[in-house]
Amino acid sequence: MGKHSGLTRAKVGHLFTFGLAAWVLICLSYALPRLMPGDFVTAMFASSHVSLTQEQESQARDYFKREEGFATYLLRLLRLDWGRSYALSQPVSSLIFQALPWTMLLAGGAHLIASLLGFVIGVEAAWRRNSRTEKTLVGAMTFMEGVPEMALAVVILGLFAFQLHWFPTAGAQTPYAQLSLGGRLADMAHHLALPMTTLILSYFPGNFLLARNSMVMVLGEEFILTARAKGLPERRVRYHHAARNALLPVVTRFGLRLAFMVTGVVVVETIFSYPGLGTLLFNAIRSRDLPLIQGVVLFSSAAVLAVNLALELLYARIDPRAGHAY
Amino acid sequence: MHIDVKSMLLKDRLFLIGASLVSLLCLICLVGPHAVPFDPTDMSFQPFARPSWGHPLGVNDAGQDILSELVHAVRNSLAFGASVGLLGLILGVVLGLAAGWFGGITNRVIMSSADVFMATPAVMILILVAALFMPSPTVLALVLVGLSWPTTAKAVRAQSLALRGEQHVRASAHMGGSAFYVISRHLIPEMFPLYVVGFVAKARMAIFMEASLAFLGLFDPGRKSLGGMIYYALRYYYMDVWWNWLAPAVVCLCSAMMAAGFLAISLEKIMDPRLRSKWA
Repeated sequence: MGKHSGLTRAKVGHLFTFGLAAWVLICLSYALPRLMPGDFVTAMFASSHVSLTQEQESQARDYFKREEGFATYLLRLLRLDWGRSYALSQPVSSLIFQALPWTMLLAGGAHLIASLLGFVIGVEAAWRRNSRTEKTLVGAMTFMEGVPEMALAVVILGLFAFQLHWFPTAGAQTPYAQLSLGGRLADMAHHLALPMTTLILSYFPGNFLLARNSMVMVLGEEFILTARAKGLPERRVRYHHAARNALLPVVTRFGLRLAFMVTGVVVVETIFSYPGLGTLLFNAIRSRDLPLIQGVVLFSSAAVLAVNLALELLYARIDPRAGHAY
Repeated sequence: MHIDVKSMLLKDRLFLIGASLVSLLCLICLVGPHAVPFDPTDMSFQPFARPSWGHPLGVNDAGQDILSELVHAVRNSLAFGASVGLLGLILGVVLGLAAGWFGGITNRVIMSSADVFMATPAVMILILVAALFMPSPTVLALVLVGLSWPTTAKAVRAQSLALRGEQHVRASAHMGGSAFYVISRHLIPEMFPLYVVGFVAKARMAIFMEASLAFLGLFDPGRKSLGGMIYYALRYYYMDVWWNWLAPAVVCLCSAMMAAGFLAISLEKIMDPRLRSKWA
């Protein structure tokens, strides 16, 4: 049987699904603001204490509101011309790209660490099934799985920043500090520690339990018995034969949990005032900065879609059977 | 291949803890609002008053009794979770059955849209809708229902395809049972475990989303919610309110999420058809 390369039917199917999802999102982002009673300007100033004169209002309307067709809108999206923020009066795209690296550092780093640790420890726990350590670990992680990011963040912030003063309470770096490169990195790590710990602690239990359960299922299969009967070394059975197959459900479920994770990142960034996309979105919501909200929503949706698509393709690669499905 | 689900559940410690937490929370929801002496929107007390006999948890920044606030917030959270769970479940079951039973184009359309919905980051749509229209909690719950059906629909479809091939279902159809009769008499009752697990998982997701959206300020600020309480308590953290204002809200939110999580894990363990076939 030859290696599958190029586009299989399954891949085309995935691309179609994700293309359709992206299309639905773009259409929604075009249609929803236009379905809104009144317009951005009225919505913004009606709920604030500022009252505008007739002239100011029409000026604001000229400045912020562009009546345009769907084609123009699409072109504008592609050119990264996503409008201007009301509250910060900067282009939305530049605000997003300023915030993006921080979110990638925080959420991406936390994911990487929590996924690797969760998987390896989950696999090892399943291998030692019914030992005392394994039982304690499963119990503790089942408990931790019930603690939402919001609660965890509040407790960690309160304890380590407000009470013990070990870590800064907000921000990603000390403002206006004149530091050497090493000092600056240390300062960033110091600021990153609490929010990152929160995210790792909230992702780890899910990853661990999934990996452990899926590994337990795999270990009951007959090919594991065969591998052992052939006299393969333990480690080879554990990782080459068992863990590889246990990885599949972990990858599938990851996509389903993404929606939770995105929400969690927004809340954690807000609680620690970490200058990423989540805080940007939070501030935009609090000041009813509609173009900015729309920009962040659209951008992060696109990012989530891209991650999901990458996972699907990765899944087809690690599970040869998936390539033959359909 | 019947197994005694009830006795297995009663032996499962996780289920017992989850069930007692849920009962406790339900009790708070049912009795609480009548037992607390104040209206949670009554702003006539001295702001930031310390806990006392009159106000066991003190008074918040707006001069409202925190205990009354908490009880109403728990009730709102649970009601939101339960209604999203129930409606999402019904929608998922109906669409899954339709896809599984009718097959063909119905199946294609429903399953493709399920894929699209599952790929779309639901929260983002929710945030956009909430920010633009400032809708009532009911509308937000309905949006969440519309986004939460695909997992159940997929599971129900797979199960109903499997059941369709079984002898008793075919016999029933061959003897002239209508689609409605076969579905309601045979398919729906036999998939019971899927409903329970699906409901609990959706309710948990909805409670989490409600708290997060309220924290972000996307709900009507007058509506009491755990997320909103946590947000305001955190803003006045320096007033040393963490133990009487922040902690109760955090504990209630955690208990609700944990209870649902425990129930979901334990029910899935005992009722999952894949695991069950191994024991039967």
